[in-house]
Amino acid sequence: MYEPKIIGFICNWSLPTEVDTTSTGRVHGYPKIRIVRVMCVGRIDPAIVPEIFAKGADGVLVIGCHPPDCHYIDGNLQAERKIKVLKKLISLTGIEPERLRLDWVYASEIERFAKIIDDFRNQIKVLGSSPLAGERSDTNILLNLNAARAAAEDFRLRVLVGREMELTEKENIYGEKISQEEFDALLHEIVETEFIRHKIHLLAKEKPMSVKEIAAITNLNPALVLRHVVNMRRSGMITLDRVEKTTPLYKALEVH
Amino acid sequence: MRDTEQMAVTSHALRNKRKLPPCRAACPSDVNVQGYITLLQQGKFKEAVELIRKSMPFPAICGRVCFSPCQDACSRKNIDQPVGIRYLKRLAADIEREQGRIKPDSIPKTHSEKVAIVGAGPAGLSAAYELAKLGYPVTIFERMHEPGGMMRYGIPDYRLQKYVVANEIAYIQDLGVEIKTGVEFGKDVQLDTLRNKGYKAIFIANGAQLSIKLGIPGEDLEGVFPAIEFLRHVSLGKTVDVGEKVAVIGGGNSAIDAARTSLRLGAREVTILYRRSRKEMPALPHEIAATEKEGIRLHFLVAPTRIIAEGDRVKLIECLRMKLGEPDESGRRRPVPIQGTEHTYEVDTVIPAIGQLAETSCLPSILLDERARAISVDPLTLETSSLGVFAGGDVVTGPASIIEAIGAGKRAAVSIDRYLNGKDLRSGREEEIEETTWVKDWKMIKKKPERYAAPNIDIGRQRVSFEKAAELLVKIKELAMSEARRCLECGPCSECLEGDGLCEVDKAIVDETLCTGCNVCAVVCPSGAIKKNESGVAQVDEYLCKGCGTCSASCPERAIAMRRLTNAQIVIQALTALGGGFA
Repeated sequence: MYEPKIIGFICNWSLPTEVDTTSTGRVHGYPKIRIVRVMCVGRIDPAIVPEIFAKGADGVLVIGCHPPDCHYIDGNLQAERKIKVLKKLISLTGIEPERLRLDWVYASEIERFAKIIDDFRNQIKVLGSSPLAGERSDTNILLNLNAARAAAEDFRLRVLVGREMELTEKENIYGEKISQEEFDALLHEIVETEFIRHKIHLLAKEKPMSVKEIAAITNLNPALVLRHVVNMRRSGMITLDRVEKTTPLYKALEVH
Repeated sequence: MRDTEQMAVTSHALRNKRKLPPCRAACPSDVNVQGYITLLQQGKFKEAVELIRKSMPFPAICGRVCFSPCQDACSRKNIDQPVGIRYLKRLAADIEREQGRIKPDSIPKTHSEKVAIVGAGPAGLSAAYELAKLGYPVTIFERMHEPGGMMRYGIPDYRLQKYVVANEIAYIQDLGVEIKTGVEFGKDVQLDTLRNKGYKAIFIANGAQLSIKLGIPGEDLEGVFPAIEFLRHVSLGKTVDVGEKVAVIGGGNSAIDAARTSLRLGAREVTILYRRSRKEMPALPHEIAATEKEGIRLHFLVAPTRIIAEGDRVKLIECLRMKLGEPDESGRRRPVPIQGTEHTYEVDTVIPAIGQLAETSCLPSILLDERARAISVDPLTLETSSLGVFAGGDVVTGPASIIEAIGAGKRAAVSIDRYLNGKDLRSGREEEIEETTWVKDWKMIKKKPERYAAPNIDIGRQRVSFEKAAELLVKIKELAMSEARRCLECGPCSECLEGDGLCEVDKAIVDETLCTGCNVCAVVCPSGAIKKNESGVAQVDEYLCKGCGTCSASCPERAIAMRRLTNAQIVIQALTALGGGFA
């Protein structure tokens, strides 16, 4: 019978006291999950999750303390913001965003802990095994996940996510705040842009490519691709490699 | 070898600097308050008690009667109410006791030098506890029939139950400490006899158990019971007839204890006469409140001038009204009598409770101070003028608190250990404690529900069914955990779990070549541990960093790594887990 492979990131302070974990991440009594214990769910670097999906995990479950409690004041809320962006990124890759879930547990709530694991496992069972599991690795999705990972490592996106609370909760010197909707719309746009640009960058890394080729592979409007390419040239992500007949080919530059 | 010597020299030159949360900084006995509250947040009740035991042996006793300076210092008071630290400690210790305390293993005696301790009160017992943990053979000599000192004979049962005291002393005995009761120092044993018996170090902690006399006529009449003797009588189970009307003189905790005990012995009308006003009362505020709730009357600004008898027994107490004058050396305003305001109260019993003195008549005069009222010691090392003899607790300080006595016992144990090993008693012991909190602005922290009411019960002693008891226990534990979660963890990392493998202290490290100074780390850091230096590079404060790793996960340049759990390690762990036999 199909048993999904689930990685659970659980914070040190919300892992129920009764739960025994071993060095291999197995939980005694919970054969359906492998656990990585972190000090705080705020610790989960967004770049980690696409990597784990790329290696064939069927689901990633992140469990922290119930807001407003957190051993680190708002580490759980920081995690919430990161997971929000991640879900958006993951949904662009072709992996169902439901494969990633954030939930809250107190160390006293062993029953809730068990229920969350069971629910998540059932949800993953309905979705079936990951398109990257086993032999049938989908190269397009793999490329997408690598692009998502690169986007999650991107400076711009990370600054924005890191400062979200500051931007939406504190006023500037004019007493203005960015509303959550405004911020989310902005973030949404940037996530999408970064994802596409990093995908283009990865493609151009393999071999120099034309806008048309890129548009065909990414299934995007060539005009949109061109706009990205122009911007990417300006920001130093790609450069002109050569012109074949009348078609310019672009190659990736090293970005740190 | 060389290095340790070098270190000893340097640490002597530099005072030992420690950064602590306010609660721990306030504790005379250096209990890791933030640490055990953190464990309680997770429901680790046993671990919390064990953590308390690392710094002192009396969690249940202090959970009941400590004056809890930690709670007064708690940062949470800047937002709503301090965390209910004392009640949490009590609850953790009670749960441990009621569920059957694990008997600790007797600690092997790795040292041959015998240590004698005079007095089995909090100071003597905690010194014995610390020395036993170091592997010394320790014998305590106690005058009374039961160990515990004031904890056993001075605090009434309704505040501190005898079985609680007995249980915590049993823990110390389980470690291998020998307690010889019924041995009076100065009569049955002397300093010389102890030395001749081979005790290499002696710690005197016989307390301050002599009641101060009122110094007024009629004080020796029948029906006048000094508070300490009165409470000891009651603790010994002797019958004391207090009659109908009791007057207690004084405003400290002993006065309150005596008044509330009188009520429990059948007195109908109990009055506390205090010569200053409510503001100056040294008793604990919650004790004063309980006194009033029980119907005990408090009369302020009155002082007795004489006690009048009818036959052999007291009948009347004559008092003068007072007014408050200039502040005295204690900072409290001095009461000044108003002449011509004599008035009387009808009484059956008078209980003076105006303070205690150390019993110094049994001590060699060489140890005492000029006024022969206490033992004079070096305040840091607790050495007396006699080599190998140390003293601490009330006999040195005059009547103080249990937690201060415990602190003295601990200090004495360190000194005795150093003395017996021929080490310098002073080096590196002077401490500079810096209260450290990351919170810069209290307003930014959200209020939480008011303190969860303390369920004031001993589960094992309630007549309820097993199911009901189990249910109650779960409910109480949950309440306690919610209360513990009110803690802001405002101090530096309390290293609560270090050593049991659950948490190795992790710290963030900044790769300065990658840092662009974008400040995201400082924004996300919950502990205020990251700041930019002059050159605009992020710097981590080692003390404040609690190793959550949020900065590392948020750094746009990925310039921050965690010392222990790096990103790469998280991925490796996850992949190992993935490969790890999902059949």
